[in-house]
Amino acid sequence: MADATQAGLIAIGAGLAVGLAGLGTGMAEKDVGAAAVGAITEDQTLFGKAMIFMVLPETIVIFGLVISIMAIFVM
Amino acid sequence: MLIPESMSRVVIVGTKARMQDAIDALYAEQAIHVIDHTTGDDGMSIGAPCASTSKASERLLKVRAMEKELGIAKKAKTAQSSVEDLRTQIESGSVEGVEGEVLKAVDARNDLNQKITELNSKKRTLELLQRLPLTLDMYSGYHSLAVMVGTTTVDAGPALKDLAYAECFTDFSKKDRGIAAVFVQKEAKEQAAGALAECGFVEMSVPVTTEKVKPADALVKLNADIEECSEKMKAADLALGVLKAKYMSFLKGTDEELAIEIEKGSLPLRVAVSKYSYVIDAWVPTVKVDRIKADLETKLGNDVYVEFEETRTRKLAEENDEEPRFKNVPTKQHSGKITKEFEYATSLVSVPKYQEIDPTMLIMIFLPLFFGYMVGDCGYAIPFIILGAYGLKVTHNKDWRSIAVVLFFGGIWAFIFGFLFYGEALGMHFIGREYVDGIWEWPAGHIANGGTSVSWDWILGVTFPDWFAGLLPVVGGGAGIGKLEDVSFLLKLAVYIGIIHLLIGHFCGLINIKMQRGSKAAFMGKGGVIITFIAMVAFCWTLTEMMFHKVPMEGTLLTIMVISIVFLVIGVAINSKHEGMMAVMDLPGIIGNILSYTRLAAIAMSKAGMALAFNYIVFGMMMPTKVVDGITMFDPSSSIGMVIFAIIIFCFLHLVVWTLAILSGGLHALRLQYVELMTKFFEGNGIKFAPLRELRKKTFFSAKADNNIKEV
Repeated sequence: MADATQAGLIAIGAGLAVGLAGLGTGMAEKDVGAAAVGAITEDQTLFGKAMIFMVLPETIVIFGLVISIMAIFVM
Repeated sequence: MLIPESMSRVVIVGTKARMQDAIDALYAEQAIHVIDHTTGDDGMSIGAPCASTSKASERLLKVRAMEKELGIAKKAKTAQSSVEDLRTQIESGSVEGVEGEVLKAVDARNDLNQKITELNSKKRTLELLQRLPLTLDMYSGYHSLAVMVGTTTVDAGPALKDLAYAECFTDFSKKDRGIAAVFVQKEAKEQAAGALAECGFVEMSVPVTTEKVKPADALVKLNADIEECSEKMKAADLALGVLKAKYMSFLKGTDEELAIEIEKGSLPLRVAVSKYSYVIDAWVPTVKVDRIKADLETKLGNDVYVEFEETRTRKLAEENDEEPRFKNVPTKQHSGKITKEFEYATSLVSVPKYQEIDPTMLIMIFLPLFFGYMVGDCGYAIPFIILGAYGLKVTHNKDWRSIAVVLFFGGIWAFIFGFLFYGEALGMHFIGREYVDGIWEWPAGHIANGGTSVSWDWILGVTFPDWFAGLLPVVGGGAGIGKLEDVSFLLKLAVYIGIIHLLIGHFCGLINIKMQRGSKAAFMGKGGVIITFIAMVAFCWTLTEMMFHKVPMEGTLLTIMVISIVFLVIGVAINSKHEGMMAVMDLPGIIGNILSYTRLAAIAMSKAGMALAFNYIVFGMMMPTKVVDGITMFDPSSSIGMVIFAIIIFCFLHLVVWTLAILSGGLHALRLQYVELMTKFFEGNGIKFAPLRELRKKTFFSAKADNNIKEV
């Protein structure tokens, strides 16, 4: 029983790690995305630069994912 | 290949009398990037457009107007025309001739259009009038009576009932609203108007006639007129269609030819001229300097003088000494046929500077590779390759071509990874059995044992030969890397790929600074970063060995850790010369950058997860199976109808995964190039090499003469 509880807690932790990180990424990308679309509407050549800024916060969710994978597979 | 082509600056001087010939000769070279002249105190001024340009502009305006009138689309496919023929036709006034013909037809159609509009409005009036018991002649020809005819929004009958000195006719229906005709003595007109105004009266004009004609009869005649005009209109449209077919290729050809003529005629506006001569400053690829000089001198003889000024090196100091207009050198990317297709991806960020490495080649190598690593599935790869090849064959649009080229090469990598690395197609491993104690057995999670994973050998009911299983790498259990089973391995691999990719980026940065400012500056600028990077990687590796693999911190491991810490300190010390405290702040960024590459494994996993679920839905829940000796087996013969239905669902579900693979795989592969790789060395903001050349699509030179330049 103790094992099952432990596994369950690890799973919840892993879920929280990736879920909350995803939420954070979403909130960051919301602002960047709105500004990026505005900038691209003004000047199409900004697409590449806008995309770089747009995807910067994505790294946060990858961190969350790494932690959750470590939680499941390593612990 | 990695560095833009070397450029040289030349000055072309010639006599103004032969400027037109010179312009033709410059355009024929297709390798001369003109530096715009800025008026200074050198006694030269900006030139005036060639004499013929104004006439050409006028004609171009006419041609474009005709194209619009005839509805010729911008990208309409037309036959190519010979430049010589077109020039003769333009000179002999064909544009004006065609314009006359087209305008005549267009005017005729417009007149008919207007007439039909008028007739239709008259028709509406008559349709209203036929509701009243009057003939058309009754509405006019009175001396002492005022006539008011019009529509009303409510029934006007009650309001007009008590009107003195008046004869009123009204009709009202809820659907068609009301109509009222009031014949009233002129003195009482205002009173009638007041009564009508309350009913929402809007006056309309009635056709004046002395004939005793009922509106219904007039309507019949009018309808016949409209019919006749419509017929004429159709004929006019047909005539325009004939004109369009007849002159389409002429107009498109003339459009292009005149546009080129105007562009060439406007060149003097960009160069310096004096009373008798012109001076053109230009960048040309260094390898072509001698050829261009020889060509121009052959064509223009003594009327031109080409002087070689300098070959610009990649040193930034050299650039700073120049006057402003010679400072920036245009970038001509040194791309082969395939690399050229990836130039668009680079240009989305910026054009590379003349003094830096062009990342296009690196994008060409890594973008499809990462895409292939993330997709890694033979089943998805084949449609990618076909779609990419088809796209490259048919489309000329830059956006679509860049997508097609990623799909094609990414598809090839996906196939290679899918076949030799993951060993799977459509999210299912080729070999589901595991080799345990000398026998191939179904593992616990396999559908044969009531699990969820499906494999091709189970579906096909075959055992693949041992040599085939030998081709595939084995990490956990089973042949081939499982995207969902060997997660730790895939993550590690992604991190190693990231380290190599980032190191390439940092070394490109080192080379860039070395080219621009010399070895010492390069070491101070990038050497420290590279030392920190490698030391950080080594330090993190020792930590993971200690924490996850429980290796005791002693002997070699301890030595590596100590050395890495020492180098870390040295690296930070070098960096802090430029960046101050930011050098320490950058350290977590190194780990962040490397971990960012775990997305390669994460996206592969996400797609495998979806495919696993879909395959289980189809094979575990829909397809007919039977159980023999405790092993579940695929049994398609028992219910053919269900098999067909399941296959349709199977195709649809995998189409979803496939489409998502383009989006997530493509975008993340691109992001790793843009954010992780290119920020390490790429500055951009270069000027694209734009040589003088004629872009001809609709026209061609039938005789390959040198633009009709006379030999001197």
